Amino acid sequence: MEFLLENILNLVGFLVGLAIGIMSYIGFRNTGSPTLFRLTIAFFSISLGFFVIWTGYMIEDFVTKTGNIERWIQTLGIAIQTIGYFFIAFSHSIKSFFPKSSYFRSVGIFPLFLVSSVQLEHIFRSVSFILLAYGAIETMLSYLENRNKGAISVSIGLGFLALGEFLGWYSFVFPESILYPASMIIKIGGLIALFIPVSKVPLTKIKFDEDFGK
Amino acid sequence: MAEYRTHIKIIGDILATTRDDLQDEDGASVTYLIRKANISHSRISSILKTLVSQGLLEKVDNQGSNKYKISENGREFLQAYYAFTNFADSFGLSI
Repeated sequence: MEFLLENILNLVGFLVGLAIGIMSYIGFRNTGSPTLFRLTIAFFSISLGFFVIWTGYMIEDFVTKTGNIERWIQTLGIAIQTIGYFFIAFSHSIKSFFPKSSYFRSVGIFPLFLVSSVQLEHIFRSVSFILLAYGAIETMLSYLENRNKGAISVSIGLGFLALGEFLGWYSFVFPESILYPASMIIKIGGLIALFIPVSKVPLTKIKFDEDFGK
Repeated sequence: MAEYRTHIKIIGDILATTRDDLQDEDGASVTYLIRKANISHSRISSILKTLVSQGLLEKVDNQGSNKYKISENGREFLQAYYAFTNFADSFGLSI
């Protein structure tokens, strides 16, 4: 069951991240916007991170057949995803003028309380949680300003990913409980919510502009 | 407090003015664009030069004064600009 959910989660994460990354890249090529460039890096990283973990599970299933994914592959995938989450949060912190944001400084202290182990995976998961929670809150605040309905969906998506990340991290405390499968289902839901506004971009009206920005 | 506008947003405002809010069929004068897009003369000159060189605006010589009209490429760019503004808004960001 967990193996199946892991495969679905990582495949959905790879595809959704890739779709949003491509859309951001098309936007960047058309407009030259640095925000869209940061989103491109963010979602290509997230996509690559899920792909690395998915590849790890495939190798385990078809090659090594040890019953467990190589720990370093899982850690590498989560680390790459964390880079993506960092770029989402970074885009918000630029918008909110980072040096004056006492809120961001306060959540920056959080990892010290959350990290109870020196294992890299735990560190990356807790950092991811903070970045995702920050992104979700900032996106919701943006919705209150501009009333763009897509922002609700993205905010819920990032919030679900944060919750899934937190439960995934917490499941180390209760290894055989329902926490880990629940975290994966929540993360799949979060990825689907992230994809909703992207699916509404009118692709047929957008084309690459080879000359603009040169 | 005045809203901060990025460079791309100023370009969007200029193109939108030349598409939707023209004085007459010949195009918009620099003075009119300065007023409508709320931008200084020194800044708009370089932006207009870039937009014309990129083929997003057409420069029309009208009785000794220059006027600007949006080109077909400009219309496509503006359409993409609005689509991606909405896309970035969904992530709570501005392009």
